Amino acid sequence: MKEHVITICNGTACINKDVRGLQNILEEQLVKLDLQDKVKINVSGCLGMCDKGPVMIVYPGYTIYGGVTEKDITEILQEHIINKRPISRLAIQEDNLFNRFFRIFGDTKFFGRQMRIALRNCGIIDPENIDDYIALRGYEALAKILTDMTAQDVIDEVKKSGLRGRGGGGFPTGTKWQFTADQINDQKYVICNADEGDPGAFMDRSAIEGDPHTILEGMIIGGYAIGANKGIIYIRAEYPLAIKRLEKALADAEAHCLLGKNILGSNFDFDIEIRLGAGAFVCGEETALIRSIEGRRGMPKPRPPYPSVSGLFGFPTLINNVETWANVPVVILDGGSWFSTVGTEKSKGTKVFALAGMVNNTGLIEVPMGTTLREIIYDIGGGLPNGKQLKAIQTGGPSGGCLPAEYLDTPIDYESLAKAGSIMGSGGMIVMNEDVCMVDVARFFIEFTQSESCGKCTPCREGTKRMYEILTRIIEGKGMPGDIEKLERLGSMTQKASLCGLGQSAPNPVLSTIKNFREEYEEHINEKKCRAGVCKALLNYVITEKCIGCGACKRVCPVDAIDGNKKQMHHIDNDKCIRCGMCMNTCKFGAIIKS
Amino acid sequence: MTTPLETLRKKRAESVNRILQKGYLANTRVYVGMATCEIAAGSKDVMEVFQNAISTGKVKDVYLSQKGCAGRCNLEPTVEVVEAGKNPIKYGKVTKERAWDIITKHIINGEVIEEWVIE
Ligand SMILES: Cc1cc2nc3c(=O)[nH]c(=O)nc-3n(C[C@H](O)[C@H](O)[C@H](O)COP(=O)(O)O)c2cc1C
Repeated sequence: MKEHVITICNGTACINKDVRGLQNILEEQLVKLDLQDKVKINVSGCLGMCDKGPVMIVYPGYTIYGGVTEKDITEILQEHIINKRPISRLAIQEDNLFNRFFRIFGDTKFFGRQMRIALRNCGIIDPENIDDYIALRGYEALAKILTDMTAQDVIDEVKKSGLRGRGGGGFPTGTKWQFTADQINDQKYVICNADEGDPGAFMDRSAIEGDPHTILEGMIIGGYAIGANKGIIYIRAEYPLAIKRLEKALADAEAHCLLGKNILGSNFDFDIEIRLGAGAFVCGEETALIRSIEGRRGMPKPRPPYPSVSGLFGFPTLINNVETWANVPVVILDGGSWFSTVGTEKSKGTKVFALAGMVNNTGLIEVPMGTTLREIIYDIGGGLPNGKQLKAIQTGGPSGGCLPAEYLDTPIDYESLAKAGSIMGSGGMIVMNEDVCMVDVARFFIEFTQSESCGKCTPCREGTKRMYEILTRIIEGKGMPGDIEKLERLGSMTQKASLCGLGQSAPNPVLSTIKNFREEYEEHINEKKCRAGVCKALLNYVITEKCIGCGACKRVCPVDAIDGNKKQMHHIDNDKCIRCGMCMNTCKFGAIIKS
Repeated sequence: MTTPLETLRKKRAESVNRILQKGYLANTRVYVGMATCEIAAGSKDVMEVFQNAISTGKVKDVYLSQKGCAGRCNLEPTVEVVEAGKNPIKYGKVTKERAWDIITKHIINGEVIEEWVIE
């Protein structure tokens, strides 16, 4: 019976301090002391205590040992495991907000590579109970700034953290706060963008449903920093549970004097209200979102002026994404300098992704910036099911691109993904295997954007529509030479001439698939062939020599496309065939194949 | 004058107290995932099974709570059983029937049902 688990941090810093060597010694010692049946060793990703490494955590009890040496190992086993006396000399008290998650979840492969900052409480606390949040240092960041930080201190801390917007654009958050704070105006607004319009994305919904108070706390801190007293959460009506939990959180926070007049006895007032969106992709774009709150039609307007200068009702407005807000309390409590140790040079902190598609472990993950696609797909995602080969990775949803398998070692950060031809976006990540047709994927996304285009500017309205038509024609086997070039020209014009990010990014799925999978487009157009067997019009069913002429296929064919005499090989007339596949499913001899 | 930090510290002590009063230090704590995705996968039924087991007195000394999504989409609904002095156990794809088995085998008899444990 295992009685203890020792989790060994395998973050880079600990590995540099030879944690692997220590693990070998630990394993030897376990055998020597005859403890191997009692102690299970787990390895985790970075536990975030890099300066205290090598780090080991002994469960139960969550005793964290830092700076462990060879000599300490014997002592830990003798004293802690055998004599049940944790060693206070070696134990470290680390109460970073984020790593509590790992003391509960860090022992599985799926969670080991992750690092939870924005989602630190998701899946741990009861989201409808404010006591749970407060008990885990909730609202302490707010209390801290109200006690001993000026508005400028707060902004400086956010700047120091290097935090960038998680809604897609990646704009430096501290800089945006500074712009809005610098505006002199009695009325300012803070907005939380919870529109989340990308198909398949559910990061923001889960973050709100799992831990609504962290969003409120972030927004109140933002309000204090820029000098605003009014916050608005713009969330789509399609998220009823998230809305319900937000409403409960707002009421509870107000009852606890954490929202409203004289927050926590200070002279700072702040209110938050919820506005429901009807669920249009374009309303996630900040200027369209602001118009939608104003009660006007959700259409973007040219920037500048940026919302930080002239936003909601013409007043300076700070707008950030849900995940951006969720990071703010951690930046304040654990400090901007700590936050900036996570991630890469230009992309700090973590990013939440909705991992989906043909991967064993689909799910919501949060990884440090700089984690490679390979680590996400194979270590966290557990690889592809059924032994299939990876063909492409789609990131950034309808505004992003498809990267082929060669890009597996690309680190996840704003610049590297852009350089590879995709974008970080808000965090959708779809894994595709060989059964996926890239032309079909491009058409799927452009079908979405062309129907979500608000129609205000011509390049987006017409460009997306025409691209959709050309892609449809290619898929239906009516592609013409020159279509690829036409798509490229249309795509680049739409990118350059559209008014807002919707049109500017809509061609990305098309252009990136042309760039990386051009031969598939060529096959569709020139050879009328779809190698993935997805595009129905390009499929031919063929009867092979295995046919014994039983006539079963002929009888099920709904359009009489099969001909042949009894006991002789049959044939399919491809002009009549509607590619329903009934014949193939009926044939008992495996004589009918797709080609 | 009390500072906001002092006010909050007091609030935290009260919050912790309320959580303890709800029975947090029970021998067994059970968490059921209750986000939109988990509910869609059937976690409301699972929650009901645990609620019934507690209200009818079938299990004693159990603290039941909901939680948000931990991210294991393909394994939902998830249930976590935390017992004093033991490693937390996470179960995946929990149905009504599985919930009953978790109650009778794991919570009452202390046998972990390895087959459903999320590794
Ligand atoms: C078509 C379109 C859709 C967008 N949808 C969202 C969205 O759903 N959520 C979001 O936070 N930002 C969205 N954005 C980005 C916002 O315009 C804005 O940059 C963001 O809310 C700023 O917050 P951040 O700096 O915290 O990322 C969208 C942009 C475009 C062009």
